[in-house]
Amino acid sequence: MIQIKDLTKRYGQHLAVDHINFSVNQGEILGFLGPNGAGKSTTMNIITGYLSATEGSVTIDGLDLVDHPMEVKRKIGYLPEFPPLYPEMTVGEYLDFVAEIKRVSPAAKKESLEKIMDLIKIGEVRSRLIKNLSKGYKQRVGLAQALVGNPPILILDEPTVGLDPRQIIEIRELIKELGKDHTVILSSHILPEVSAVCERVIIINKGKIVASDTPENLSKRLTGGSHLLLRVAGRETEVVQVLSQVAGVSNVQAKGEREPGTVDVVVEAAGEEDIRRALFFALSEARLPILLMKAEDLTLEEIFLQLITEEEEVAS
Amino acid sequence: MLAVLKREFKAYFHSPVGYIFMGFFLLISGLFFTLIDLVPGSANYTGVLANIIFVFLFAVPILTMRLMAEDQRLKTDQLLLTSPLSITGLVLGKYLAAVAVFLLTLLITGLYPLVIQIHGLLAVGEVIGGYIGFFLLGSVFIAIGLFISATTDNQVVAAFTTFGCLLLVWLWDAVRQIVPKEAAAGAIFVALLMVGLIALLYKATRNWLVSLLPGVLGLGAVVAIYLTRDYIFYGLLPVFFARFSLLDRFDTFIMGVFDFSTVVYYLSFAAFFIFLTVRLIEKKRWS
Repeated sequence: MIQIKDLTKRYGQHLAVDHINFSVNQGEILGFLGPNGAGKSTTMNIITGYLSATEGSVTIDGLDLVDHPMEVKRKIGYLPEFPPLYPEMTVGEYLDFVAEIKRVSPAAKKESLEKIMDLIKIGEVRSRLIKNLSKGYKQRVGLAQALVGNPPILILDEPTVGLDPRQIIEIRELIKELGKDHTVILSSHILPEVSAVCERVIIINKGKIVASDTPENLSKRLTGGSHLLLRVAGRETEVVQVLSQVAGVSNVQAKGEREPGTVDVVVEAAGEEDIRRALFFALSEARLPILLMKAEDLTLEEIFLQLITEEEEVAS
Repeated sequence: MLAVLKREFKAYFHSPVGYIFMGFFLLISGLFFTLIDLVPGSANYTGVLANIIFVFLFAVPILTMRLMAEDQRLKTDQLLLTSPLSITGLVLGKYLAAVAVFLLTLLITGLYPLVIQIHGLLAVGEVIGGYIGFFLLGSVFIAIGLFISATTDNQVVAAFTTFGCLLLVWLWDAVRQIVPKEAAAGAIFVALLMVGLIALLYKATRNWLVSLLPGVLGLGAVVAIYLTRDYIFYGLLPVFFARFSLLDRFDTFIMGVFDFSTVVYYLSFAAFFIFLTVRLIEKKRWS
């Protein structure tokens, strides 16, 4: 459905996007993950036709963006990083305007706008000025704008940024719902968000794709087995010694004392096998009570660090 | 294009900008109408039009400062440029919205000649001609303001730059009076134009040979002509300045002469700045 080939964007000497290749299938929800300044927004701006690429091509449904800009733009709904709203218009006027520039036929306009406002739940603010809306509502109006004209492809740049936790969950649910009959590209710098919504993730750093996989495979590949965080009452040397002897443990790292009289350790399992029971029995035999045991999630920073070091190893 | 025109036109009256423009324009034109026609009991309405041209200096920047600049600040240009809307349509829509506000204001001032018509003898032909010229001149100024507005995302900067440029247009005729008409001045002027052209050529090709060769040939030709037939350059500078004098041509309208070539002149001036605006926006996508 979407095909990106050798996409490059150069600002003077700086390469913002560096020969990116990927494709998105119909009905897929693709996550675009990367730190700020990685080139996510630039890539999205190019796909939507806001910026021109220095090199490379964007093909949508077999149509090249440069050769058929109007047809391609009709197929895409775009929510940029800052929702493009006119503060002095009411929500209703604004969506009406968007429908007109997206060439929704006047006959179908009223009905389709009603449907969108119902779906996004902004019906009750339709006659309010956009400048008086809360951040959450502004974001929703931005999302509604992307849906006008019923484009088959949605491109959403950080759709949940700046929202409160309840709104974040609502927007995520909404995106999942939309993903049933839309192809979606979504960018984020928060890993759990992408894993919650997306079927496939592309990680991008310094303008280059560093990984592309399902969220599950990605975290599996990165952790290479599971990490467990334990808090044990006892002395550090003793705890580490007992844990190192448990079968299936490949590495034990002490993290210091966070609670008086206890020690935090991270235990790494060698294979896929579950070592939690073995840890429990070993420690209870040594009369070292476990106060806390949980799987440790990798933060985005750690994933990047790991991916980038992996790359350097391959290179050297 | 129509959707953009409609939105921009409404936006003028959703903010104070439209009212400020109309209020200012009507205040000044009303004042001059009173001073020139009502108080002395004169029926000379074109004199009013000729006298209030300076209003453009202040009114046009108010009208055009937000046209393109605001979209860049609000990032709504991302919506406009990613919709199935041509850049030409977008720019034309915005331009025509500003022109429509101007036209609406001008129609209101139509009451003044009506007052004269009721109480005296109005030179209908001259007034209509004067209005056409006045409208065309304003449209050119609006196009200049539109272009300047596209160069920045700051409305204040846009307003002041537009004011500066219109001031230049305003002073153009005064400058024209003092430019030297000697052949040497003409030759130097042509030589400077040539140097500018070489610089442009170099910027486009990045090749010294390609840009210097025609440059040297051209400059040589200028020197040769100056040495052998210097009368060709005589009076060239004043003529050149006269070609670009916008206000000079307005006088023909005031005199009731409908000169079609002047209409084309104004329209092409406006079209040139609209074209520049379109190019500028297109170029921004590539930078």
